[in-house]
Amino acid sequence: MTPIPGALTASLTAICGPDGVIVDPDRLLVYESDALTAYRHRPGAVVLPRTTGELRRSMAAISRAGLPIVPRGAGTGLSGGAVALGGAIVVGTARMNRILEIDAPNRRAVLQPGVVNAELSAAAAVHGLYYAPDPSSQTACTIGGNVAENSGGPHCLKYGVTSRYVTGLKIVQADGEVAELGGRGGEAPGYDLVGLFVGSEGCFGVAAEIEVALLPVPEGVRTLLAIFDRIEDAGTTVSSIVGAGMLPAAMEIIDGPTIRAIEDSVYAAGYPVDAEAALVIEFDGLEGGLDTEAGRAADLCRACGAREVRTARDEPERTALWKGRKKAFGAMGRIAPDLLVQDATVPRTTLPAILNGISEIARRYDLVVANVFHAGDGNLHPNILFNRRDAEELEKVERASKEIMQICVDSGGTITGEHGVGLDKKHHMPLIYGPAELDAMWGLRRVFDPAGMMNPGKVLPDGTEPARERRRSGEAPARAAGAPLPA
Amino acid sequence: MRAAVASLGSVRAALREDQVLEGEAARTWRAGSESGVPPSAGVPSSPGVVLFPESAAEVRNVVKAAIRSGVRLLPAGNGSWLGAGGWGREAHAVLSTARMDGVVHYEPADLTITAGAGLGMRALGEVTGRKGQWLPVDAPGCERGTLGAVVACGVPGPLQSHYGGVRDNVLGLEAVTGYGRILRIGGRVVKNVAGYDMVRLLTGSRGSLGVITRVSVRLFPRPAADVTLCYNGGATEVVGMARALCTAAFPVAAIEIAGGGGVAGGRRAAEAGEAGMTLAVRLLGGSGEVAEARGRSVAMMGREPDRELAGDDSAAFHEGRTRWEDGAELVARLAALPDRLGEVMTCARTVAGAVGGEVAADALRGLVRVRGSCAAGSEEAVAECLRRARAEMEDRGGTLALSSAPHEVAEGLGWVGAGGGGGLTRRIRELFDPHSVLASECP
Repeated sequence: MTPIPGALTASLTAICGPDGVIVDPDRLLVYESDALTAYRHRPGAVVLPRTTGELRRSMAAISRAGLPIVPRGAGTGLSGGAVALGGAIVVGTARMNRILEIDAPNRRAVLQPGVVNAELSAAAAVHGLYYAPDPSSQTACTIGGNVAENSGGPHCLKYGVTSRYVTGLKIVQADGEVAELGGRGGEAPGYDLVGLFVGSEGCFGVAAEIEVALLPVPEGVRTLLAIFDRIEDAGTTVSSIVGAGMLPAAMEIIDGPTIRAIEDSVYAAGYPVDAEAALVIEFDGLEGGLDTEAGRAADLCRACGAREVRTARDEPERTALWKGRKKAFGAMGRIAPDLLVQDATVPRTTLPAILNGISEIARRYDLVVANVFHAGDGNLHPNILFNRRDAEELEKVERASKEIMQICVDSGGTITGEHGVGLDKKHHMPLIYGPAELDAMWGLRRVFDPAGMMNPGKVLPDGTEPARERRRSGEAPARAAGAPLPA
Repeated sequence: MRAAVASLGSVRAALREDQVLEGEAARTWRAGSESGVPPSAGVPSSPGVVLFPESAAEVRNVVKAAIRSGVRLLPAGNGSWLGAGGWGREAHAVLSTARMDGVVHYEPADLTITAGAGLGMRALGEVTGRKGQWLPVDAPGCERGTLGAVVACGVPGPLQSHYGGVRDNVLGLEAVTGYGRILRIGGRVVKNVAGYDMVRLLTGSRGSLGVITRVSVRLFPRPAADVTLCYNGGATEVVGMARALCTAAFPVAAIEIAGGGGVAGGRRAAEAGEAGMTLAVRLLGGSGEVAEARGRSVAMMGREPDRELAGDDSAAFHEGRTRWEDGAELVARLAALPDRLGEVMTCARTVAGAVGGEVAADALRGLVRVRGSCAAGSEEAVAECLRRARAEMEDRGGTLALSSAPHEVAEGLGWVGAGGGGGLTRRIRELFDPHSVLASECP
């Protein structure tokens, strides 16, 4: 790889200090992938600013040098979004990790993007508040990364995803320009530019300051674990609970292969290893009424075929139960060298049929597919276990993966519920969007980043950027087949 | 203008004859005869033509014809909030989506519904209510509006803090851009991060980027218990009570304060002095949960409520509150962070005094609305009062925006104060409406 120009290294060092610039090839290895290790590209350099000023000046310098910029939080992303293609410079926010303000009376916080998700909740806890979105990687991932990906998490069923909690942003664009979007608790007039920026996967700029809404910590929690001999019954239970008018904080399904992986690992949570599905249901809120809700849900589980329903009796039991779920990916790492994580979302009522379809595809290709997912949201994470050194298996994995994605989209679903498109799913975008939508997205990207410096090669499929003239002509080419939404 | 009127012919030709209203019929429609409510101020001219396309393809044909002939279209639903907030400018024709009013897909167990933009909010409530579900949107005027208009306006109501605002509950949209292409964005699943979030961009853009023709939204189970506790008192007292509830650890669905006619029965804020304001606390959820929240609210307030509403009575009370802005000549919205509610209230009451009006507050959002009128000849004085109030609000890190106002007032003052994202806003607008064919415009 060609080294980056010495003059750029010198200016970045002058801006961020010698410890804020990495050019040593060995040290750059750490930054060659995110948590989806299938994609590896070593960046030209990594720059780690501490302040908005340093961030602005770094980005301006990189842009002037004509090099692309790849923003990066903690590198826990699962779509290859933080991979630096073509020797791009990684702008890491890890050192911008200060909580600037916790405004308890207004239930809001202002922070730098490198603050770790769980640390924000820990800091807010003294005020009886917390930050609701809780991705499984919350002990490591940063809020800036969550903003870029519009991250979800198990409790988004009741509380919603990142976008609902971000009320204001100070963003830095590729050329170092700063724009303030929203703010003041979310009452700003005009377009919802905050909502547009959230989930833009580093293609629009870098969030330098983030204002979020906090919630009061729920005073009571009831966590149930229902064990099923058939995974479809667990899927049916989820629809029945929602259909009965209940709104649990979370509903998560862990299938047989995943249960066995967890129980065989250091994360063992006491799930029965002969079961085909475990359904974790959590209710939170005021103490009054929680037992009634949990009791109704338990009855529905049994009516749908659960062979056993357990209730976590205390906080340690609840923590153990969740630990199994949250560490499922880690546990699976023990049984296969490689893991392909999918992230499709389907309408909740199609879950039983989709789960059957996935099993059938796995059988046909003779692959192990372990399912662990946010069932309440219909957000599936089928994990295909494989060994990348086996070329034949790798090809089967790719074909099976595509078939799984197709049945999810055919059921009215989408290609990604929370991991983002990044590098990994951009070729799936035409499954759900035609030229009209892709053109509009390209247009928006160029509004924020006219020179195309921000995270190139991500989100939008290669070769789809329209000539400006065609986009504005009003003469729409024929729409691609297979863009079904809304129904 | 005259040239454009002459070229309305090609736009008209994109539709059947029975899809076009003209002359007196158009004016009557615009005056809201269907809903019996006069329109808000805000549109400088009165378009003499109303178009009723029945599909996204027809909307596209109309937009393309308008591009060719230089006609400017004002997107609308039932026409009850035309141009509110200064988003309207001179239009040659209104494009109403009211006839695209079918339910396309409703699966109760998925808690989602997809419907044409023209489906009335009342009809939506009936369809979902039969399955024990609802879309918890209580924006001003929403009850007589259409689903598409509520999404296009994106104005939240007091339930926003509890359920999320309109923007949080729209899952997918179909819209025709100002350059005449049909976009189908988002979907009908509750979690979706595929591509940039154009659903949020179009929600609240008031038809300035495109005409929304179909909407998918997230629904919620209708809560088993709905209770409203009303406390009467002076401004300082009810603001203090509201603030205490805002920081309570138990969930409160909405906290509203109304002065004068809205709740207490006819007296105007200016005359009401330190009495005559009412705090309305809404509790929603399971019966056990609401009973407990009620007990704790009463303990926190230190006394039993002056009035208590439950079930349908509570729901009807809040539905009535959505009509509070109807027919008002002037509506101003003053907002700051919620802990400054007392200062915002003081500022709002000063404005209310100048416009002979009353106030209503959404304590959880730190928002106080003022409604009133502006007698002929008093425009300058009213504008001056609003200008001072805006300066005061901005000093406190807040805002003052107008929803409705006579043009003489809004023109000099501006509908909103200084906002952020200026260059981005303009470029996005140019991207989606390069020919300036849409009469809505972000102020």
